[in-house]
Amino acid sequence: MKPRQDITSHVRHHRLLRGGLTQQDLADRLGVTRQTVHAIEKGRYAPSVGLALRLAEVFGVRVEDLFTLEKDDGDE
Amino acid sequence: MEMSNATMRRRWRPTPVNLIAGGLVIAGFALAGLNWGFIALVGLGAFGPGVLRELGWLRDKDEFELAAARRAGYHGFLAAGLLAFLLTAYYRLHPDLTAWPGNLVELILVVLWFTWLLSSLLAYWGARRMAMRLLVIFGGVWLIFNILSGWQQGPVGVLMQSLLAVPFFGAAWLARRWPRAVGILLLGLSVFFVLQFGLQRVVDDPFRSGRIFVLIFFIGPLLVAGLGLLSREVDERE
Repeated sequence: MKPRQDITSHVRHHRLLRGGLTQQDLADRLGVTRQTVHAIEKGRYAPSVGLALRLAEVFGVRVEDLFTLEKDDGDE
Repeated sequence: MEMSNATMRRRWRPTPVNLIAGGLVIAGFALAGLNWGFIALVGLGAFGPGVLRELGWLRDKDEFELAAARRAGYHGFLAAGLLAFLLTAYYRLHPDLTAWPGNLVELILVVLWFTWLLSSLLAYWGARRMAMRLLVIFGGVWLIFNILSGWQQGPVGVLMQSLLAVPFFGAAWLARRWPRAVGILLLGLSVFFVLQFGLQRVVDDPFRSGRIFVLIFFIGPLLVAGLGLLSREVDERE
């Protein structure tokens, strides 16, 4: 069976590190809606490579710092 | 909370596309009373923007919104397609039954739209929040409906009719603490209401007094909320 791969988002952590940056502020800087930022932070939506790179650019970190791959048991 | 008041005020504003599409839908339903031809306006409002987006002529949504719309569209396709084949099989097996084709088309449209709506809410709110809000919204709708329908029977009638809304509010309150248990309860309630409502009557004559539509709008939210609370998303994402 194809392994299920989930992505854990650390975007909220990085946003809160930059005190005062709201979801709406981040959304405005990325050119997306607040709901999109919310969905990414909750892990309900895995952004495209382009949006992930823009996020990394906003926070000044690597994409791997914002998202980590969770491997299912069946993946081993 | 992390959102300022100013931010909360601008959380959602209808775009020009929303306004035009919504206007077409409302105008279509309103004018259909004069001439059924105007119902085509509803189709234009509901599906027109999506067609323009797929053609690349309208770029008003970001990637998450597009992904949610496409996923909801796929869910609608699955639900409406499955229903269409079941109806085909049923009516082919029972050639003595006659149903006005308009009713069947409306049924498929209702299921298509309802599935799309619920799937969109799931994408934007997540499983648990969607389940809770859905239960509160439909509890409220059924409370108003039951109060109005029980009004002529006096206070006791209103009270008795209002009891039908209690399962919605109760389940919404309990869902925060025990999502799995409430999910199972909601699925059980769905089955109970289907049987209580008289599934056989619906199957025998689905379009009399809009039985099938009542069934969809009453059972649908319970079923979807129940499935949402039992989904893997609840534990892992929220």
